[in-house]
Amino acid sequence: MNLSEMLPELILALPLTLAIMFVALIAGFFLAVLATTFRIRRVPVISQLADLYVSYARSVPVVLQLFVAFYGLPVLVALFEISDFFSPNVAAMLGLSLYHGGYLSEVMRPAYLAVDRGQHDAADSLGYGFRQKIFRVVGPQAVHIALPGYGNALIYLIHNVALVMYIGAADVMATAHLVMQRHYNQYQFETYLLLAVIYSLLCLVAWLIVRFFERRSPMYASAERQVKMPLMANV
Amino acid sequence: MLELRDIRLSYGNSQILKGVNLSVSRGDVVSIIGPSGTGKTTLLKCINYLARPSSGTIALDQIRMDYRRADKPTVQAIRLRTAMVFQQFNVFKNMSVIQNVMDPLIVVQRKSKEEARQIAVQELERVGLSDKLDMYPSQLSGGQLQRTGIARALAVRPDVMLFDEPTSSLDPELVGEVLKVINDVAASGMTSLLVTHEMQFAKKISNRIVFMDQGVVAAEGSPDEVFDTPSNPRLAQFLKSEVAFQ
Ligand SMILES: Nc1ncnc2c1ncn2[C@@H]1O[C@H](COP(=O)(O)OP(=O)(O)OP(=O)(O)O)[C@@H](O)[C@H]1O
Ligand SMILES: [Mg+2]
Repeated sequence: MNLSEMLPELILALPLTLAIMFVALIAGFFLAVLATTFRIRRVPVISQLADLYVSYARSVPVVLQLFVAFYGLPVLVALFEISDFFSPNVAAMLGLSLYHGGYLSEVMRPAYLAVDRGQHDAADSLGYGFRQKIFRVVGPQAVHIALPGYGNALIYLIHNVALVMYIGAADVMATAHLVMQRHYNQYQFETYLLLAVIYSLLCLVAWLIVRFFERRSPMYASAERQVKMPLMANV
Repeated sequence: MLELRDIRLSYGNSQILKGVNLSVSRGDVVSIIGPSGTGKTTLLKCINYLARPSSGTIALDQIRMDYRRADKPTVQAIRLRTAMVFQQFNVFKNMSVIQNVMDPLIVVQRKSKEEARQIAVQELERVGLSDKLDMYPSQLSGGQLQRTGIARALAVRPDVMLFDEPTSSLDPELVGEVLKVINDVAASGMTSLLVTHEMQFAKKISNRIVFMDQGVVAAEGSPDEVFDTPSNPRLAQFLKSEVAFQ
Protein backbone atom coordinates (compact mmCIF):
# COMPACT_ATOMS: atom_id res chain seq x y z
CA MET A 1 0.00 0.00 0.00
CA ASN A 2 1.20 3.48 -0.68
CA LEU A 3 0.01 6.99 -0.25
CA SER A 4 -1.74 7.21 -3.58
CA GLU A 5 -3.90 4.30 -2.50
CA MET A 6 -4.64 5.61 0.96
CA LEU A 7 -5.10 9.29 0.33
CA PRO A 8 -8.21 9.14 -1.92
CA GLU A 9 -10.04 7.06 0.64
CA LEU A 10 -9.17 9.38 3.43
CA ILE A 11 -10.11 12.37 1.34
CA LEU A 12 -13.50 10.80 0.70
CA ALA A 13 -14.02 10.70 4.44
CA LEU A 14 -12.99 14.29 4.82
CA PRO A 15 -16.33 15.92 3.89
CA LEU A 16 -18.13 14.10 6.69
CA THR A 17 -15.37 15.00 9.12
CA LEU A 18 -15.59 18.62 8.08
CA ALA A 19 -19.39 18.54 8.23
CA ILE A 20 -19.30 17.33 11.82
CA MET A 21 -16.76 20.02 12.57
CA PHE A 22 -18.70 22.83 10.98
CA VAL A 23 -21.99 21.87 12.56
CA ALA A 24 -20.31 21.79 15.97
CA LEU A 25 -18.54 25.06 15.18
CA ILE A 26 -21.72 26.91 14.29
CA ALA A 27 -24.20 25.28 16.66
CA GLY A 28 -21.62 25.48 19.42
CA PHE A 29 -21.14 29.17 18.78
CA PHE A 30 -24.83 29.92 19.16
CA LEU A 31 -25.11 27.69 22.20
CA ALA A 32 -22.18 29.56 23.71
CA VAL A 33 -23.74 32.96 23.02
CA LEU A 34 -26.97 31.80 24.59
CA ALA A 35 -25.31 30.24 27.63
CA THR A 36 -23.05 33.26 28.10
CA THR A 37 -25.96 35.68 27.87
CA PHE A 38 -27.76 33.90 30.67
CA ARG A 39 -24.65 33.53 32.75
CA ILE A 40 -24.08 37.28 32.59
CA ARG A 41 -27.65 38.53 32.84
CA ARG A 42 -28.87 36.36 35.68
CA VAL A 43 -32.36 34.97 35.18
CA PRO A 44 -33.58 32.58 37.88
CA VAL A 45 -33.50 28.88 36.90
CA ILE A 46 -32.35 29.49 33.31
CA SER A 47 -29.03 30.90 34.51
CA GLN A 48 -28.48 27.97 36.86
CA LEU A 49 -29.20 25.56 34.00
CA ALA A 50 -26.70 27.45 31.86
CA ASP A 51 -24.08 27.12 34.62
CA LEU A 52 -24.81 23.41 34.91
CA TYR A 53 -24.54 22.92 31.17
CA VAL A 54 -21.21 24.71 30.96
CA SER A 55 -19.71 22.76 33.81
CA TYR A 56 -20.92 19.50 32.22
CA ALA A 57 -19.36 20.41 28.88
CA ARG A 58 -16.10 21.43 30.48
CA SER A 59 -15.63 18.73 33.07
CA VAL A 60 -16.87 15.52 31.43
CA PRO A 61 -14.31 13.92 29.10
CA VAL A 62 -15.30 14.50 25.49
CA VAL A 63 -15.39 10.76 24.69
CA LEU A 64 -17.91 10.34 27.46
CA GLN A 65 -19.95 13.27 26.20
CA LEU A 66 -20.06 11.58 22.81
CA PHE A 67 -21.32 8.36 24.36
CA VAL A 68 -23.93 10.29 26.29
CA ALA A 69 -25.09 11.91 23.07
CA PHE A 70 -25.01 8.58 21.24
CA TYR A 71 -27.09 6.72 23.81
CA GLY A 72 -29.09 9.72 24.92
CA LEU A 73 -30.25 10.85 21.51
CA PRO A 74 -32.39 7.77 20.79
CA VAL A 75 -34.13 8.31 24.09
CA LEU A 76 -34.84 11.88 23.11
CA VAL A 77 -35.95 10.86 19.64
CA ALA A 78 -38.34 8.30 21.12
CA LEU A 79 -39.65 10.90 23.50
CA PHE A 80 -40.62 13.27 20.72
CA GLU A 81 -41.59 10.44 18.36
CA ILE A 82 -39.49 11.63 15.49
CA SER A 83 -38.27 8.40 14.04
CA ASP A 84 -35.35 7.46 11.88
CA PHE A 85 -33.33 10.57 11.86
CA PHE A 86 -30.81 9.25 14.25
CA SER A 87 -27.34 8.14 13.24
CA PRO A 88 -23.86 8.12 14.72
CA ASN A 89 -23.10 11.17 12.62
CA VAL A 90 -25.96 13.13 14.09
CA ALA A 91 -24.95 12.00 17.57
CA ALA A 92 -21.41 13.14 16.83
CA MET A 93 -22.63 16.55 15.71
CA LEU A 94 -24.85 16.92 18.73
CA GLY A 95 -22.22 15.74 21.20
CA LEU A 96 -19.50 17.98 19.82
CA SER A 97 -21.82 20.98 19.51
CA LEU A 98 -22.69 20.68 23.18
CA TYR A 99 -19.06 20.24 24.13
CA HIS A 100 -17.84 23.14 22.00
CA GLY A 101 -20.65 25.47 23.13
CA GLY A 102 -19.88 24.91 26.79
CA TYR A 103 -16.16 25.29 26.30
CA LEU A 104 -16.63 28.45 24.25
CA SER A 105 -18.94 30.00 26.80
CA GLU A 106 -16.05 29.93 29.22
CA VAL A 107 -14.03 31.86 26.65
CA MET A 108 -16.77 34.41 26.01
CA ARG A 109 -17.76 35.13 29.58
CA PRO A 110 -14.31 36.14 30.85
CA ALA A 111 -13.80 38.18 27.68
CA TYR A 112 -17.02 40.07 28.35
CA LEU A 113 -16.03 40.62 31.96
CA ALA A 114 -12.57 41.78 30.92
CA VAL A 115 -14.01 44.80 29.12
CA ASP A 116 -13.33 47.78 31.31
CA ARG A 117 -16.24 48.94 33.48
CA GLY A 118 -15.52 52.46 32.24
CA GLN A 119 -16.51 51.50 28.70
CA HIS A 120 -19.97 50.58 30.00
CA ASP A 121 -20.12 53.83 31.96
CA ALA A 122 -19.20 55.93 28.96
CA ALA A 123 -21.77 54.26 26.71
CA ASP A 124 -24.47 54.45 29.39
CA SER A 125 -23.74 58.09 30.12
CA LEU A 126 -24.17 58.93 26.43
CA GLY A 127 -27.56 57.24 26.31
CA TYR A 128 -26.69 54.01 24.51
CA GLY A 129 -29.31 51.31 25.02
CA PHE A 130 -28.17 47.90 26.22
CA ARG A 131 -28.15 46.39 22.73
CA GLN A 132 -26.43 49.41 21.22
CA LYS A 133 -23.79 49.24 23.91
CA ILE A 134 -23.19 45.54 23.32
CA PHE A 135 -23.10 45.73 19.54
CA ARG A 136 -21.13 48.97 19.19
CA VAL A 137 -18.78 49.05 22.14
CA VAL A 138 -18.55 46.11 24.52
CA GLY A 139 -19.07 43.31 22.01
CA PRO A 140 -16.31 44.30 19.59
CA GLN A 141 -13.88 44.70 22.47
CA ALA A 142 -14.87 41.39 24.01
CA VAL A 143 -14.45 39.68 20.64
CA HIS A 144 -10.97 41.06 20.40
CA ILE A 145 -10.12 39.79 23.87
CA ALA A 146 -11.75 36.43 23.16
CA LEU A 147 -10.02 35.72 19.86
CA PRO A 148 -6.93 33.91 21.18
CA GLY A 149 -9.13 31.78 23.43
CA TYR A 150 -11.45 31.16 20.53
CA GLY A 151 -8.49 29.95 18.50
CA ASN A 152 -7.73 27.41 21.20
CA ALA A 153 -11.35 26.32 21.39
CA LEU A 154 -11.30 25.70 17.63
CA ILE A 155 -8.15 23.65 17.83
CA TYR A 156 -9.57 21.52 20.65
CA LEU A 157 -12.72 21.01 18.64
CA ILE A 158 -10.73 19.83 15.65
CA HIS A 159 -8.78 17.41 17.84
CA ASN A 160 -11.93 16.08 19.42
CA VAL A 161 -13.52 15.34 16.07
CA ALA A 162 -11.05 12.44 15.98
CA LEU A 163 -13.01 10.87 18.83
CA VAL A 164 -16.24 10.44 16.92
CA MET A 165 -15.04 7.08 15.62
CA TYR A 166 -15.75 5.67 19.07
CA ILE A 167 -19.46 6.07 18.44
CA GLY A 168 -19.16 4.76 14.90
CA ALA A 169 -19.12 7.91 12.81
CA ALA A 170 -17.04 7.36 9.68
CA ASP A 171 -14.62 10.25 9.83
CA VAL A 172 -11.04 10.22 8.55
CA MET A 173 -9.81 8.50 11.68
CA ALA A 174 -12.33 5.66 11.45
CA THR A 175 -11.66 5.32 7.74
CA ALA A 176 -7.94 5.09 8.35
CA HIS A 177 -8.55 2.24 10.78
CA LEU A 178 -10.68 0.43 8.23
CA VAL A 179 -7.99 0.78 5.61
CA MET A 180 -5.34 -0.45 7.98
CA GLN A 181 -7.41 -3.45 8.95
CA ARG A 182 -7.87 -4.31 5.30
CA HIS A 183 -4.12 -4.48 5.09
CA TYR A 184 -3.76 -6.73 8.11
CA ASN A 185 -2.75 -3.87 10.34
CA GLN A 186 0.38 -2.98 8.50
CA TYR A 187 1.55 0.50 7.63
CA GLN A 188 0.37 1.98 10.89
CA PHE A 189 3.17 4.46 11.13
CA GLU A 190 2.60 5.89 7.66
CA THR A 191 -1.13 6.04 8.19
CA TYR A 192 -0.98 7.80 11.51
CA LEU A 193 1.62 10.15 10.18
CA LEU A 194 -0.69 11.05 7.32
CA LEU A 195 -3.54 11.63 9.77
CA ALA A 196 -1.28 13.84 11.82
CA VAL A 197 -0.54 15.92 8.74
CA ILE A 198 -4.24 16.23 7.91
CA TYR A 199 -5.07 17.38 11.44
CA SER A 200 -2.15 19.78 11.51
CA LEU A 201 -3.32 21.35 8.29
CA LEU A 202 -6.85 21.78 9.62
CA CYS A 203 -5.52 23.43 12.75
CA LEU A 204 -3.18 25.61 10.75
CA VAL A 205 -6.06 26.89 8.64
CA ALA A 206 -8.14 27.60 11.75
CA TRP A 207 -5.24 29.40 13.36
CA LEU A 208 -4.58 31.51 10.27
CA ILE A 209 -8.22 32.57 10.09
CA VAL A 210 -8.31 33.53 13.76
CA ARG A 211 -5.05 35.41 13.44
CA PHE A 212 -6.35 37.27 10.44
CA PHE A 213 -9.25 38.59 12.51
CA GLU A 214 -6.97 39.38 15.42
CA ARG A 215 -4.74 41.51 13.22
CA ARG A 216 -7.66 43.20 11.56
CA SER A 217 -9.04 44.56 14.79
CA PRO A 218 -8.36 48.25 15.35
CA MET A 219 -7.49 47.36 18.92
CA TYR A 220 -4.54 45.35 17.67
CA ALA A 221 -2.76 48.61 17.07
CA SER A 222 -0.10 48.63 19.73
CA ALA A 223 2.59 51.13 20.51
CA GLU A 224 5.14 49.51 18.19
CA ARG A 225 2.78 49.68 15.26
CA GLN A 226 2.11 53.37 15.60
CA VAL A 227 3.79 54.26 12.36
CA LYS A 228 1.99 51.69 10.23
CA MET A 229 -1.46 52.11 11.69
CA PRO A 230 -2.69 55.26 9.95
CA LEU A 231 -2.46 53.35 6.67
CA MET A 232 -4.77 50.68 8.04
CA ALA A 233 -7.19 53.01 9.73
CA ASN A 234 -9.69 52.91 6.89
CA VAL A 235 -10.12 49.16 6.64
CA MET B 1 -31.39 74.50 36.16
CA LEU B 2 -29.91 71.46 37.95
CA GLU B 3 -31.07 70.70 41.43
CA LEU B 4 -30.16 67.72 43.57
CA ARG B 5 -31.98 67.23 46.87
CA ASP B 6 -31.07 64.98 49.75
CA ILE B 7 -29.15 62.41 47.71
CA ARG B 8 -28.37 59.28 49.71
CA LEU B 9 -26.39 56.30 48.57
CA SER B 10 -24.76 53.31 50.23
CA TYR B 11 -22.45 50.59 48.98
CA GLY B 12 -23.13 47.60 51.16
CA ASN B 13 -23.01 48.79 54.74
CA SER B 14 -21.08 51.96 54.13
CA GLN B 15 -23.04 55.13 53.56
CA ILE B 16 -21.25 57.12 50.88
CA LEU B 17 -23.64 60.01 50.28
CA LYS B 18 -25.56 61.15 53.33
CA GLY B 19 -28.03 63.67 52.02
CA VAL B 20 -26.29 65.88 49.48
CA ASN B 21 -27.93 69.05 48.18
CA LEU B 22 -26.62 70.89 45.19
CA SER B 23 -28.05 73.46 42.85
CA VAL B 24 -26.52 74.80 39.69
CA SER B 25 -27.77 77.67 37.55
CA ARG B 26 -27.39 77.92 33.81
CA GLY B 27 -23.89 79.00 32.87
CA ASP B 28 -22.48 78.18 36.27
CA VAL B 29 -19.10 76.57 36.59
CA VAL B 30 -19.12 74.70 39.87
CA SER B 31 -16.04 72.93 41.16
CA ILE B 32 -16.42 70.15 43.69
CA ILE B 33 -13.41 69.64 45.92
CA GLY B 34 -12.79 67.48 48.94
CA PRO B 35 -10.70 64.65 50.35
CA SER B 36 -10.35 61.35 48.54
CA GLY B 37 -13.16 58.89 49.08
CA THR B 38 -15.82 61.39 50.17
CA GLY B 39 -18.09 60.54 47.27
CA LYS B 40 -17.40 63.29 44.73
CA THR B 41 -17.27 60.90 41.79
CA THR B 42 -20.26 59.03 43.14
CA LEU B 43 -22.27 62.25 43.37
CA LEU B 44 -21.47 63.15 39.78
CA LYS B 45 -22.49 59.66 38.69
CA CYS B 46 -25.80 59.98 40.50
CA ILE B 47 -26.74 62.76 38.12
CA ASN B 48 -26.69 60.48 35.07
CA TYR B 49 -27.66 57.43 37.10
CA LEU B 50 -24.40 55.54 36.64
CA ALA B 51 -24.62 55.34 40.41
CA ARG B 52 -28.02 54.63 41.86
CA PRO B 53 -28.98 56.58 44.94
CA SER B 54 -31.39 54.95 47.35
CA SER B 55 -33.26 58.23 47.79
CA GLY B 56 -33.26 61.87 46.79
CA THR B 57 -34.57 63.87 43.87
CA ILE B 58 -33.13 65.49 40.80
CA ALA B 59 -34.51 68.28 38.67
CA LEU B 60 -32.91 69.22 35.40
CA ASP B 61 -35.03 72.03 34.00
CA GLN B 62 -38.41 70.39 33.37
CA ILE B 63 -37.17 66.85 33.99
CA ARG B 64 -37.86 65.68 37.51
CA MET B 65 -37.13 62.35 39.09
CA ASP B 66 -37.36 60.78 42.51
CA TYR B 67 -34.52 58.24 42.72
CA ARG B 68 -36.73 55.83 44.64
CA ARG B 69 -38.89 55.62 41.55
CA ALA B 70 -36.31 56.02 38.81
CA ASP B 71 -37.67 55.07 35.42
CA LYS B 72 -35.92 54.41 32.15
CA PRO B 73 -37.39 57.24 30.03
CA THR B 74 -36.52 59.87 32.63
CA VAL B 75 -33.02 58.49 33.14
CA GLN B 76 -32.57 58.52 29.38
CA ALA B 77 -33.85 62.10 29.15
CA ILE B 78 -31.29 63.16 31.74
CA ARG B 79 -28.52 61.26 30.00
CA LEU B 80 -29.32 62.93 26.71
CA ARG B 81 -28.89 66.35 28.25
CA THR B 82 -25.73 65.72 30.25
CA ALA B 83 -22.31 64.51 29.17
CA MET B 84 -19.56 63.12 31.31
CA VAL B 85 -15.79 63.31 31.08
CA PHE B 86 -14.14 60.53 33.05
CA GLN B 87 -11.04 60.30 35.17
CA GLN B 88 -9.96 57.22 33.19
CA PHE B 89 -11.01 58.84 29.86
CA ASN B 90 -13.15 55.84 28.88
CA VAL B 91 -12.67 56.54 25.22
CA PHE B 92 -14.11 53.62 23.21
CA LYS B 93 -11.09 51.47 22.54
CA ASN B 94 -12.48 49.86 19.43
CA MET B 95 -13.03 53.15 17.62
CA SER B 96 -10.78 55.79 16.12
CA VAL B 97 -10.80 59.31 17.51
CA ILE B 98 -13.39 60.57 15.05
CA GLN B 99 -15.55 57.45 15.39
CA ASN B 100 -15.61 58.00 19.13
CA VAL B 101 -17.15 61.40 18.60
CA MET B 102 -19.43 60.40 15.73
CA ASP B 103 -20.82 57.18 17.15
CA PRO B 104 -23.09 58.63 19.86
CA LEU B 105 -24.45 61.13 17.35
CA ILE B 106 -25.31 58.37 14.90
CA VAL B 107 -26.41 55.68 17.33
CA VAL B 108 -28.18 57.72 20.00
CA GLN B 109 -29.16 60.93 18.26
CA ARG B 110 -29.83 59.26 14.90
CA LYS B 111 -28.01 61.92 12.96
CA SER B 112 -26.79 61.20 9.45
CA LYS B 113 -23.17 60.17 8.98
CA GLU B 114 -22.39 63.40 7.17
CA GLU B 115 -23.84 65.59 9.86
CA ALA B 116 -22.13 63.55 12.59
CA ARG B 117 -18.81 63.83 10.81
CA GLN B 118 -19.20 67.55 10.41
CA ILE B 119 -19.89 68.02 14.13
CA ALA B 120 -17.08 65.66 15.09
CA VAL B 121 -14.54 67.45 12.94
CA GLN B 122 -15.61 70.75 14.44
CA GLU B 123 -15.41 69.54 18.05
CA LEU B 124 -12.11 67.77 17.53
CA GLU B 125 -10.69 70.94 16.08
CA ARG B 126 -11.86 72.77 19.17
CA VAL B 127 -9.81 70.41 21.38
CA GLY B 128 -6.82 70.51 19.03
CA LEU B 129 -7.00 66.98 17.64
CA SER B 130 -7.56 67.77 13.97
CA ASP B 131 -4.46 65.85 13.00
CA LYS B 132 -5.39 62.72 14.96
CA LEU B 133 -8.84 61.93 13.55
CA ASP B 134 -8.03 58.42 12.36
CA MET B 135 -5.78 57.36 15.22
CA TYR B 136 -6.85 54.64 17.61
CA PRO B 137 -6.82 55.02 21.41
CA SER B 138 -3.85 52.68 21.83
CA GLN B 139 -1.77 55.15 19.83
CA LEU B 140 -2.61 58.26 21.84
CA SER B 141 -1.24 59.94 24.93
CA GLY B 142 -3.39 60.42 28.01
CA GLY B 143 -3.86 64.07 27.19
CA GLN B 144 -5.03 63.26 23.70
CA LEU B 145 -7.36 60.58 25.02
CA GLN B 146 -8.92 62.98 27.47
CA ARG B 147 -9.34 65.63 24.81
CA THR B 148 -11.09 62.99 22.68
CA GLY B 149 -13.35 62.30 25.65
CA ILE B 150 -14.11 65.99 25.98
CA ALA B 151 -14.85 66.35 22.26
CA ARG B 152 -17.16 63.33 22.43
CA ALA B 153 -19.01 64.90 25.33
CA LEU B 154 -19.25 68.35 23.72
CA ALA B 155 -20.47 66.90 20.43
CA VAL B 156 -23.74 65.72 21.94
CA ARG B 157 -24.44 69.39 22.80
CA PRO B 158 -25.29 68.76 26.43
CA ASP B 159 -26.87 71.27 28.76
CA VAL B 160 -24.50 70.27 31.53
CA MET B 161 -20.95 68.96 31.34
CA LEU B 162 -19.81 66.67 34.15
CA PHE B 163 -16.04 66.54 34.54
CA ASP B 164 -14.78 63.88 36.96
CA GLU B 165 -11.16 64.62 37.84
CA PRO B 166 -10.30 64.98 34.17
CA THR B 167 -6.59 65.50 34.76
CA SER B 168 -5.77 63.34 37.75
CA SER B 169 -4.64 60.29 35.79
CA LEU B 170 -2.44 62.33 33.48
CA ASP B 171 1.31 62.74 33.54
CA PRO B 172 2.08 66.22 34.88
CA GLU B 173 3.34 67.53 31.56
CA LEU B 174 0.01 66.64 29.90
CA VAL B 175 -2.24 68.34 32.46
CA GLY B 176 -1.88 71.78 30.92
CA GLU B 177 -3.27 70.92 27.49
CA VAL B 178 -6.41 69.40 29.03
CA LEU B 179 -6.95 72.23 31.51
CA LYS B 180 -6.71 74.68 28.65
CA VAL B 181 -9.52 72.89 26.82
CA ILE B 182 -11.70 72.78 29.94
CA ASN B 183 -11.01 76.44 30.52
CA ASP B 184 -12.24 77.21 27.00
CA VAL B 185 -15.36 75.11 27.55
CA ALA B 186 -16.14 76.89 30.81
CA ALA B 187 -15.48 80.29 29.25
CA SER B 188 -17.89 79.48 26.43
CA GLY B 189 -20.74 79.56 28.93
CA MET B 190 -21.27 75.82 29.16
CA THR B 191 -22.81 74.87 32.48
CA SER B 192 -20.17 72.66 34.09
CA LEU B 193 -19.63 70.60 37.17
CA LEU B 194 -16.01 69.84 37.81
CA VAL B 195 -14.60 67.46 40.38
CA THR B 196 -10.95 68.32 40.75
CA HIS B 197 -7.87 68.42 42.89
CA GLU B 198 -6.41 71.27 40.83
CA MET B 199 -7.11 74.04 43.34
CA GLN B 200 -5.54 76.91 41.41
CA PHE B 201 -7.46 75.95 38.31
CA ALA B 202 -10.74 75.55 40.19
CA LYS B 203 -10.29 78.97 41.70
CA LYS B 204 -9.64 80.51 38.33
CA ILE B 205 -12.49 79.07 36.29
CA SER B 206 -15.31 78.53 38.80
CA ASN B 207 -17.93 80.92 40.00
CA ARG B 208 -18.76 78.58 42.83
CA ILE B 209 -16.86 76.01 44.89
CA VAL B 210 -18.46 73.12 46.72
CA PHE B 211 -16.48 71.38 49.45
CA MET B 212 -17.60 67.83 50.07
CA ASP B 213 -16.54 65.95 53.15
CA GLN B 214 -17.68 62.58 54.47
CA GLY B 215 -20.68 62.28 52.22
CA VAL B 216 -22.15 65.76 52.61
CA VAL B 217 -21.58 69.26 51.28
CA ALA B 218 -19.64 70.74 54.18
CA ALA B 219 -19.09 74.21 52.75
CA GLU B 220 -19.77 76.17 49.61
CA GLY B 221 -19.35 79.66 48.28
CA SER B 222 -17.51 81.82 45.81
CA PRO B 223 -13.89 80.90 45.10
CA ASP B 224 -12.68 83.81 47.21
CA GLU B 225 -14.82 82.83 50.18
CA VAL B 226 -13.82 79.20 50.04
CA PHE B 227 -10.13 79.54 49.28
CA ASP B 228 -9.20 82.78 51.02
CA THR B 229 -11.46 82.83 54.05
CA PRO B 230 -12.48 79.24 54.74
CA SER B 231 -14.95 79.23 57.60
CA ASN B 232 -15.16 75.47 58.01
CA PRO B 233 -12.19 74.05 59.97
CA ARG B 234 -12.08 70.83 57.95
CA LEU B 235 -12.05 72.86 54.76
CA ALA B 236 -9.16 74.95 56.07
CA GLN B 237 -7.28 71.80 56.98
CA PHE B 238 -8.01 70.23 53.57
CA LEU B 239 -6.80 73.32 51.73
CA LYS B 240 -3.63 73.37 53.77
CA SER B 241 -2.87 69.74 52.93
CA GLU B 242 -3.61 70.32 49.24
CA VAL B 243 -1.29 73.31 49.14
CA ALA B 244 1.41 71.34 50.93
CA PHE B 245 0.92 68.57 48.36
CA GLN B 246 1.31 70.94 45.43
N1 LIG C 1 -18.91 50.47 42.95
C1 LIG C 1 -18.53 50.63 44.23
N2 LIG C 1 -18.72 49.65 45.14
C2 LIG C 1 -18.36 49.81 46.43
N3 LIG C 1 -17.79 50.92 46.91
C3 LIG C 1 -17.58 51.94 46.08
C4 LIG C 1 -17.92 51.85 44.69
N4 LIG C 1 -17.60 53.01 44.10
C5 LIG C 1 -17.07 53.79 45.06
N5 LIG C 1 -17.05 53.16 46.24
C6 LIG C 1 -16.59 53.73 47.52
O1 LIG C 1 -17.29 54.91 47.72
C7 LIG C 1 -16.46 55.88 48.32
C8 LIG C 1 -16.54 57.15 47.55
O2 LIG C 1 -15.97 56.97 46.30
P1 LIG C 1 -15.80 58.13 45.24
O3 LIG C 1 -15.09 57.57 44.07
O4 LIG C 1 -17.11 58.77 44.99
O5 LIG C 1 -14.86 59.16 46.02
P2 LIG C 1 -14.16 60.46 45.47
O6 LIG C 1 -14.59 61.55 46.38
O7 LIG C 1 -14.42 60.62 44.03
O8 LIG C 1 -12.65 60.16 45.74
P3 LIG C 1 -11.36 60.49 44.84
O9 LIG C 1 -11.01 61.91 45.11
O10 LIG C 1 -10.33 59.55 45.33
O11 LIG C 1 -11.74 60.23 43.42
C9 LIG C 1 -15.07 55.29 48.38
O12 LIG C 1 -14.83 54.89 49.70
C10 LIG C 1 -15.12 54.10 47.47
O13 LIG C 1 -14.32 53.09 47.97
MG1 LIG D 1 -13.27 60.42 42.27
